[in-house]
Amino acid sequence: MKVRDLQHAVLPQVTAEEHSRQGAVVALRRLLNRDVRPRNVAAYEAEAEPAYSQLHGRWPQSPREIQEAFLLSPSYRRWSAANRAAQEMIWISVGEPIYRDLDRMKDDARKLINAPEKRGSLNLDPSYDPSPEVADTDIHLQPGGYAMDRDEDDIVAGALYETGGNIYSFGQEIGRGDSKAGIAIRLLDEHFGGFSPSCMLDIGCSAGAASAAYAAHYPQTEVHALDIGAGMLRYAHARAESLGVAVHFHQMDASSLKFEDARFDLVVSHNLMHEIGEEKRRAMIRETYRVLRPGGIVIHQDVAIRGLPTIVHQVERDWDTHYNGEVHWNTYAMADLVHDMREAGFPPKTIVEHDLPAIHGANRWYAISARKPG
Amino acid sequence: MADPTGALAELIATARGGRPQSLACLEAEEVLNIALATLVELAVSNDRIDRLERLVAELSGRSVEDLREIRYEGEIAKERLAATDALLTRALRIMVDPRAQPRPSG
Repeated sequence: MKVRDLQHAVLPQVTAEEHSRQGAVVALRRLLNRDVRPRNVAAYEAEAEPAYSQLHGRWPQSPREIQEAFLLSPSYRRWSAANRAAQEMIWISVGEPIYRDLDRMKDDARKLINAPEKRGSLNLDPSYDPSPEVADTDIHLQPGGYAMDRDEDDIVAGALYETGGNIYSFGQEIGRGDSKAGIAIRLLDEHFGGFSPSCMLDIGCSAGAASAAYAAHYPQTEVHALDIGAGMLRYAHARAESLGVAVHFHQMDASSLKFEDARFDLVVSHNLMHEIGEEKRRAMIRETYRVLRPGGIVIHQDVAIRGLPTIVHQVERDWDTHYNGEVHWNTYAMADLVHDMREAGFPPKTIVEHDLPAIHGANRWYAISARKPG
Repeated sequence: MADPTGALAELIATARGGRPQSLACLEAEEVLNIALATLVELAVSNDRIDRLERLVAELSGRSVEDLREIRYEGEIAKERLAATDALLTRALRIMVDPRAQPRPSG
């Protein structure tokens, strides 16, 4: 199943003009990413280091000094300002059609959620207060954040996540046919002998694109998915029902799962680790181990921003931490994830870090996998 | 169904957090934002013109390339040149307007 750029009932109906605007934002971001950002490190050497040296009488050393030096480079500042502007324009370009078409979208979502013959389910927990370390930030500047839930029919967080995510990805030159679920399925085929799960969990599912793709690929598998926000999950559920696949969505915290021990034989997460802090990430990995059956497999996939060659590249990468609401970007990039997995109980010999080519497009993805003994 | 301006206002009202500055001058950064947003709107208008060209081509039985090759001479060309001059004057007014920032005396 395609996960990007596909049609379903709860997407906003976009006018030709709105479609043009989204295309223009993609083109602007593609230009900034492909033609301007790659010059930042050279601009650091040509402009930032000499300016810092003139100011302080020595070269910058620490990450904080290097960050200060970057901001002395006019070329870097120009890119940074334009990139921030382009990121805000993502949300303008997708948010306008969502709020314009919201009544219709809510009606269609309500019908799908309340349909008598549903394939999956929606399990919201009104007693759960979404984790503030995620809920209180407009991560990647998504207005209202992941946990926005303004009324009992709210679906905006999910709609923004899916449509804004597509514009973001296309601007990063991620292929329209790429799929994070597809990457994990390929890993299961190639690295785990074609393992096919009977009961799986997708942690931090957001708008449910990967969860629905798993359900389509493994029609016999019981697919569960969780996230923190009711608005996100209503949308994910209606989306999955519209696509005709069975996914059971749950509102719960990744670091405190309400599932019994050994419930699943496959647990995955996609782009979750860079959205949560160290303590929550470690607790999430421990919970992953607990809910896995003996012999079960875990795959945590995320963005390929780890292992950059120099401290200057690392500080340049941290633009997202300071300007894009990605407060845990650097925490994730520098984390010893093998250590976390080992501490959770996974045998060291089963823990593997992967540098994976995309299913479609030139980008790469990071993943770490392991297997519970049994 | 909200109108586009209402939809934008509703979206903007939900956004949280600050807007960290990159350029040395905040005003310059705000102007850059306006310029980039205007650039995107220009692309939207170009798409609309393209759609109309294709429709006119279809209705007139001429090719889109033929339509795009139409060039006017004489009075029409002068009219277009005057319109372009006026557009450039509006867009670049800050560069041709002689008023300078008042400087403190003394």
